[in-house]
Amino acid sequence: MNRKKVLSLLTATAMVATAMGCGAASDTAGTTQTQENKAETETTAEATKAETETPAAEAAPAGELTYTTLNIDDYKDLTASIKFLHHKTDRQADGTMDAMIAEFNKEFPNITVTTEAVTDYAEDSLLRLSTGDWGDIMFIPAVDKSDLATYFMPLDTLDNLSAQLNFVDNWQFDNVCYGIPYMANAQGVLYNKKVFSDAGITELPKTPDDFIADLKLVKEKTDAIPLYTNYAAGWTMGAWDAYIGTVTNGDNTYINQKFVHTADPFANPGDGTGAYNLYKILYDACAEGLIEDDYTTTDWEGCKGMLNRGEIATMVLGSWAYAQMQEAGDTPENVGYMPFPMTVGGKQYVNAGGDYNYAINVNSSDENKTAALVFVKWMVEKSNWCYNEGGYTVVKGGKNPDMYAAFDGCEVLSDQPALAGEETFLNDMNSESELSFNAGGNDKVQRIVEAGATGSESFDDIMADWTKKWQAAQEELGIEVKY
Amino acid sequence: MKKKRTFKEWIESRDGQQVLVVIAFMVIPLLLLFVFTYLPFGKMFGFSFYNMKYVGARKFVGLKNYIKVFQREDCFGALKLSLYYMLGSVVQLGLALYLATILSFKVKGGNLFKGFMFFPFLINGIAIGFIFKFFYTRGFVFDTVLQWCGFKLDSLPYWLKDQRINNYSLVGTSVWRYFGQNMVLFIGAIMSVDSELYEAAMLDGANRFQQFKYIIMPSIKTIITLNVILSITGSLSAFEPPYVITDGANGTGTYFVVMHEIAHTQQKVGLASAMAIVLLVIIFIATILQKLFFKYVFRNAEDEDPRAGIRRQRAVERSIKRQQRLAAKGGK
Repeated sequence: MNRKKVLSLLTATAMVATAMGCGAASDTAGTTQTQENKAETETTAEATKAETETPAAEAAPAGELTYTTLNIDDYKDLTASIKFLHHKTDRQADGTMDAMIAEFNKEFPNITVTTEAVTDYAEDSLLRLSTGDWGDIMFIPAVDKSDLATYFMPLDTLDNLSAQLNFVDNWQFDNVCYGIPYMANAQGVLYNKKVFSDAGITELPKTPDDFIADLKLVKEKTDAIPLYTNYAAGWTMGAWDAYIGTVTNGDNTYINQKFVHTADPFANPGDGTGAYNLYKILYDACAEGLIEDDYTTTDWEGCKGMLNRGEIATMVLGSWAYAQMQEAGDTPENVGYMPFPMTVGGKQYVNAGGDYNYAINVNSSDENKTAALVFVKWMVEKSNWCYNEGGYTVVKGGKNPDMYAAFDGCEVLSDQPALAGEETFLNDMNSESELSFNAGGNDKVQRIVEAGATGSESFDDIMADWTKKWQAAQEELGIEVKY
Repeated sequence: MKKKRTFKEWIESRDGQQVLVVIAFMVIPLLLLFVFTYLPFGKMFGFSFYNMKYVGARKFVGLKNYIKVFQREDCFGALKLSLYYMLGSVVQLGLALYLATILSFKVKGGNLFKGFMFFPFLINGIAIGFIFKFFYTRGFVFDTVLQWCGFKLDSLPYWLKDQRINNYSLVGTSVWRYFGQNMVLFIGAIMSVDSELYEAAMLDGANRFQQFKYIIMPSIKTIITLNVILSITGSLSAFEPPYVITDGANGTGTYFVVMHEIAHTQQKVGLASAMAIVLLVIIFIATILQKLFFKYVFRNAEDEDPRAGIRRQRAVERSIKRQQRLAAKGGK
């Protein structure tokens, strides 16, 4: 009897102890979460903390740790172990990432770099970011610019960085940069050169009307699908947003500065330009049957080879896709890249901008921060990753791949950042209006395809609906209408 | 009067020990339940009153999110799609019950069939999504099979593109996945029916259908009710087929897909939380209505009503007493 009692008491205590363990663990998790959630209030505090901490870093003899002043050759002996979270699952799988790190380790043998590729990066990385458990280097997901300092180490001032690198203003806040793009993309249109010549197209289209006429030629004279929408993948539809501004209006301040203040950004300007005529191309192509037969079962991996083999004539995607299309078949020489067929004031504009940006964890140890910055600088300047991916050069004066030959004579601009104090406006408008331009608003573009193909809605009705949502969001957020 | 014990004495006594052990054993499951179920739920309930994103500042907006849920067309429009899935669940349960009844009698290769039909339930939902994406692709599996049967490709519809039928296509995948599981549950319930009842019924000349109607159905009504309630709830919260196969596009966005879109793409966490709470209330209402409905449908079946036997016995007793009284009167 007594023994039983003791036994039961023992079990009970053991169980209570486990339970307490559980409780304690969840408690700490809870506090980290609340800490992160208080982002707004702590932003300034953390930022100042980060700034005061950085100069005190023992590993940085030059004082403040900044991208431009850092001479990576001084750190050959640095010992650290850093982790890099990225979205390039394909490059992780084909060994490119490992090869680059091996190359890096030849120069910096004591810096161990582990990498983790995340498939659904845009969403998962945000969740990882809010838990704080993601490593030292990551590609910046869609966070508010005012929160940058909460998560990431300041890399340098905008002025210093932009003297050496292109497209660094994407993730700047108060003139401090938190991210550097790993490569840059130009926004044009992928096409198959052989299909175009078979269809008798000798000159690349320069206006939406020319483009639609060319697509019709392709349909008449070849077996290729004139325009492959990649509807089912979703994000490939959102890619259409990237042309608003520089390409559609010939104005690189439009998307980040004027767009949110425009009362009716989806009105038809009547001269074949503007967001209206951008999406009208898609609608018309769908309405005229110039797209794939069954758009609901498109296959992203499969389409690469189809473009390469000449089963697809065109796809509207950024230049980053070019290398993948070339690799996907036996006729890489037929894959071409052209500026978007839209002419503003007699000139074709090309929008180039940074892809995902490297950023460094503000909460990493000082050693890891230094090692991470060395790694980032090496990746940007010495790894050749950008060139190999067919990217537009990030380093000023760097070499550009041949694919950009068709861009001669076009004005290449990069989008200007939002005005001071208005950094969050576009994010807020995107979220409030639920149109999410350049931020995963795929369903709104898919709707155009559905409407065009089935005739369920007219294009003007869709644009009117967007305008209504846009204006309601402006009113809700109190954003002044200037244009 | 009892002597008052000190706490120490009480805790050492048998009563105290009992209480202590009970508490010690309950603390863990209760704690887990609280930490992983009620705490997150409470948090979400709190979120539904805020205008907030995952990161950044929050603004208290009161009931505004709830008002928006009822004002927006896409939220309740999406619930209409649940009707397709409810229709599907009727087919699914009918099929499951039919096959379960057949397989619960002696059938050649019964276990093999059971295995084959249960198998889809074991596959991961995402994998099923991909399977069916290719299955329905123009000119792929489904079209090929139908062409063998003599259909012409031109006369076949686009299973996912045609908005009139694409929801049926998606519901088909969900029926394919879940009917095996329902069937196994039904078979389990049918197995527990006393086999003597069948023999007795056979002696009385009942055919298979009558056996089903008067023996099997009343005996497994609890499990039928449970399956129906689970299916209807599942229909209201259908997510995987539309999310994986069509990404919720082309008129297939169910309530959950819309909620996911609002929570993750638009990052309106408060609104999405409010949608979740509204759906919870709808599911509560649907469940209560079903409970009432089944109470009405099965009011004559008393097999599983524990008081029915007592009532019957009392009725018998009453009639015996009455007869005795009558007999006594007659005797006078």
